[in-house]
Amino acid sequence: MDGIRFTLNGTEVTYGGNATDRLLDVLRDSYHCTSVKCGCKEGECGACAALIDGVLYNSCCVALGAVSGASVVTMEGFRETERFTALEKAFGEFSAVQCGFCIPGMTLAAEALLSKNPHPTEEEIREGLSGNLCRCTGYNAIVNAVANAAREGDGLW
Amino acid sequence: MVNGYAAASLREALEIRASRDVVPYAGGTDLMIENRKGVRYLFLNKVPELKAVAVDDRYVRIGAAVTFTEALACPDVPRLMKEALSRIAAPAIRNAGTFGGNLGNGSAKADTALIEVAADGKVCLASAEGGRVVDVDKFYLGRKKLDLADNELITEILLPKKGLEQYSYEKVGGREALAISRVSFAGVFAAENGKITNIAAAFGAVADTILRYKDIEAMLLGKTVQEAKGLKADYLNAYAQRMTLTRGRVSAEYRKRVCMNLLNGFLTKFGI
Amino acid sequence: MEKITRSVVKKDHAPKISGHSVYVADYPAEGVLCGKLLHANIARAKVLRVETPELPEGYFYVDAKDVPGDNNVNIVLDDTPVYCRGTVEYIGEPIAMLCGPDEAVVTRLRDACKVEYEELEPALDLRKATETFFDYRFGHGDVDKAFSEADRVYDEEFETGYQEQAYLETQGMMAEPEENGRMFVHGSSQCVYYIHGAVMRALGCGPDGVRVLQDVTGGGFGGKEDFPSILGCQVAVAARKCGKAVRCVLDRREDMEYTSKRHPSLCRYKVAVRDGKVTAMDIDVTLNAGAYSTLSAVVLQRGIIAAPGVYNVPNLRVHGRALKTNTAPCGAFRGFGAPQTFFAVEMMMDHIARDLGVEPLSFKEAHLVRQGDFTSTCGRYHFPVPLPAMIDKIDKACDYRKKRAEYAKPQTGRYRRGIGMSLCFHGAGFTGSGERDLIKAVAKLRKYRDGTVEILASNGDIGQGVRTTFPKIVAHELNLPLDKVYYQHPDTARVPDSGPTVASRSLMVVGELLRRAAIRLREQWADGEEQEVEERFKEPDFIIPFHIDKFEGDAYPTYAWAVNAIELEIDTYTGVAKALGAYGAFDVGTPVDYNVVMGQMEGGFLQGIGYASMEQMNYDDKGRIRNNSFSDYLIPTAKDVPNLYCTLHVEKYPDGPYGAKGAGELPLVGAPGAYLSAVEQALDGVALHHVPFTAEDTLSVMTKEAV
Repeated sequence: MDGIRFTLNGTEVTYGGNATDRLLDVLRDSYHCTSVKCGCKEGECGACAALIDGVLYNSCCVALGAVSGASVVTMEGFRETERFTALEKAFGEFSAVQCGFCIPGMTLAAEALLSKNPHPTEEEIREGLSGNLCRCTGYNAIVNAVANAAREGDGLW
Repeated sequence: MVNGYAAASLREALEIRASRDVVPYAGGTDLMIENRKGVRYLFLNKVPELKAVAVDDRYVRIGAAVTFTEALACPDVPRLMKEALSRIAAPAIRNAGTFGGNLGNGSAKADTALIEVAADGKVCLASAEGGRVVDVDKFYLGRKKLDLADNELITEILLPKKGLEQYSYEKVGGREALAISRVSFAGVFAAENGKITNIAAAFGAVADTILRYKDIEAMLLGKTVQEAKGLKADYLNAYAQRMTLTRGRVSAEYRKRVCMNLLNGFLTKFGI
Repeated sequence: MEKITRSVVKKDHAPKISGHSVYVADYPAEGVLCGKLLHANIARAKVLRVETPELPEGYFYVDAKDVPGDNNVNIVLDDTPVYCRGTVEYIGEPIAMLCGPDEAVVTRLRDACKVEYEELEPALDLRKATETFFDYRFGHGDVDKAFSEADRVYDEEFETGYQEQAYLETQGMMAEPEENGRMFVHGSSQCVYYIHGAVMRALGCGPDGVRVLQDVTGGGFGGKEDFPSILGCQVAVAARKCGKAVRCVLDRREDMEYTSKRHPSLCRYKVAVRDGKVTAMDIDVTLNAGAYSTLSAVVLQRGIIAAPGVYNVPNLRVHGRALKTNTAPCGAFRGFGAPQTFFAVEMMMDHIARDLGVEPLSFKEAHLVRQGDFTSTCGRYHFPVPLPAMIDKIDKACDYRKKRAEYAKPQTGRYRRGIGMSLCFHGAGFTGSGERDLIKAVAKLRKYRDGTVEILASNGDIGQGVRTTFPKIVAHELNLPLDKVYYQHPDTARVPDSGPTVASRSLMVVGELLRRAAIRLREQWADGEEQEVEERFKEPDFIIPFHIDKFEGDAYPTYAWAVNAIELEIDTYTGVAKALGAYGAFDVGTPVDYNVVMGQMEGGFLQGIGYASMEQMNYDDKGRIRNNSFSDYLIPTAKDVPNLYCTLHVEKYPDGPYGAKGAGELPLVGAPGAYLSAVEQALDGVALHHVPFTAEDTLSVMTKEAV
């Protein structure tokens, strides 16, 4: 049988395993995308977030068969972009990264938000990040960083 | 693909559904948590016939593979439904979760199903042999039991185009986002020429199925608001007698009190 | 703002946000066996037999028989087994580990193991528990006389529940046998030398037989203080048996259900009041320790020392016990026993004040400790107590007094509001003389020929920022750019023992050692030479020696202080409380990096609000915890407390670096008291006695009130 073809961080790949396998496990184990973190395996924490055709998903809740033909982007790919640089700088200025485990997913959630809504209100930012649990920061620094990235990175989104 | 079928059309999906032992996969948000072993998925997320929202003379027709996020962006989807959609989980889940999946999972906690029950919505089912349309409240047969044959797929959800303008929607979760309903309530009200023509009340996440009691609703149909006020105590009492709730993350007693409070609040909102 | 306070981009920022950081689960799986624990599923039973499936080539079953050294994990006492010793004492106790190359196969083998038990009667009810791990008493004055002379006596009991640390990265450890025979253990952890000591004992080897490294750690909050020692021993024993590297990363359910969490508590307060003033407190504190003693002794000590709160209580009697139940052992969690007693004393003071017809805040202000006063253990508050100024700050930030008066008026309608305030401290550093007698911290600086300076210490960055703040201190003293000073994750093969990463001590205690070391290095700086300086802990001269047998003396050198106010709105239809605002003033001395300190305050405060409201965890009549996932154990999201305001007050501590004192734990401690006080006000002044206080609790109170 044919494998499942999709684009991972811009590169065409073919996965020969099961269509029922979790995208999270496949990204980590087969493609070494370890920025994708496993926090719960039930869609409740957002640490495994990935962009599929530009849309934010929890990769623990996606079966491989569902990404056939799609473009999957993880932090391994997103970190090469200008938008990442803007977010990275803003998160750094607000010291929004503590333990860091939620952060790749959080940053992708911010990217998904800003690409739909380049100038979100604070409430919209909190909504946009509401599926990504952070136990360290209390969220203020992260929310401020995203607001700042939107301001400073004007035109990128 | 190994242990999976990707259907490119509804026809193809129905053929696979009829001929193979497959589990329909729409958004994955419930299925992947179950993580069933040894199954094969029929992927419906790219079937064009299931991805559309259409409007006919009576109904807004929402394709079974339309995601919550897509529906939120669609001007045709009624406000009541959008209110429920906007409070489901969080963006990543709304990007994946679908109407068909929410219904097909058979849970009484399904937030879109609650609206469909309250709105007298219908579900369109199809098989290779043909199709049928079932009232959503009849589609639920019991705890996790649906009126869905092994060769059928959910294709569309139908919501009435009119009559959903006046409503109450309430969701009690454990927090402001990423919250599974602990009690949910949807009420739809309509009156014509001073007479109540609809007073639908549906309760989610409190029993094995979504609850709605049309016979109790009938007490107030055809009445004026003033008359309904006089019947309010009997009406509430009838609900209190009828509702036997189960415990879950919260107790049955709590659910009952909340349901009664919300029902009361619904009546009050419309002057009853 | 002082120069040291100015924020910098954290040293670990770039690798973490870009996903380059390697957490223990991220090491490639090639050549590493996956370990899965076989957990007991009965709360108390003799294990008669374990029937194991046939193991394919390359798969192993590891249990107590494979422990080469002592099958007891060294924590405070040594009662926690590495692997079950024949009787399981709680659901989740590790009986064995299955190891092998393929995770799915290992899981299948583990699930195929059949354990035959002889069930024994478990102790599950804390009120009926009879086995005492620790029992302490202390006090001063004449409590009986005060009660006999009182014009009012109050007697109330308060209860707090479990709290799960819920770090985003679950527990995980890995052990790799090195060619030289040494066992290399690394993973997600707070205290490399604790693990080092424990693994030495389990393997029966000397200090050189074990090397422990902290990997990048996805949050700890105390949860990775003791547990990694247990898991570290388990993987080390497994790796020894298998002769290969073994990694065990818990899944979320295992972690939530079976690893340590905050002790549930019962606190009974009897209070004597005469002429409107508290004259005595007779306090009884009971902690549910779980099945093994782990850190309960020290958690209990901190809890009971804080029991009278921030108030002068002339006659005091405190009795504290940590009791055994057949449940997962409780351990360290930010606040370490103090959140439980501070909650109780704050509610108690509120209730007394309201009974006396006095506004609680005024009543509390009339009892506040001041500089020079005795502490509960007859030590001294050596430094100014800035609470009055901090109360003013919070009053200004949220209009506390005005709102408090407004919400006290009768409210009608669906939504009702309330606001509450709590006052608390956190004793900075280890309790008692631990720092001087047990830890004896040593820290070093090594200067290389190129002029870069490496910090050698054993405190791990778990998100709180020591990889940044330590270098800031050293760079500041050496007048070096920050990129010339660095601090890696501690590796026992390279760093001295500067103590564990606990008790809000790292920055205050070890940071000060580093500051002093840097001054010495500056004085002897020689370009182009490799140089090393070492600094050892010295107890400050002002300290009144602490005697743990009598609970007498300075339990802490100094205190961090907090004033918290929480404003909320209750939906009377559903009982749901919505936080309208949370306001915290915190004095942790000089912030060595403003953003880092604010991050601690905001994060800790939100955890405390979660503890008071939505974070509910219980066990059933079999001793099984049902809230074992992120959908059943809820922690706050970005939407739950959008208006979270923190502000700093600086009261410098002369023996901390630049005036810094303990910070990490403080912000959690006061939240439950402020939260519940606000709920009480919204519910028309009813007296409440437990947290978490849920929507369901609110509705049942309203139903009772209506009757």
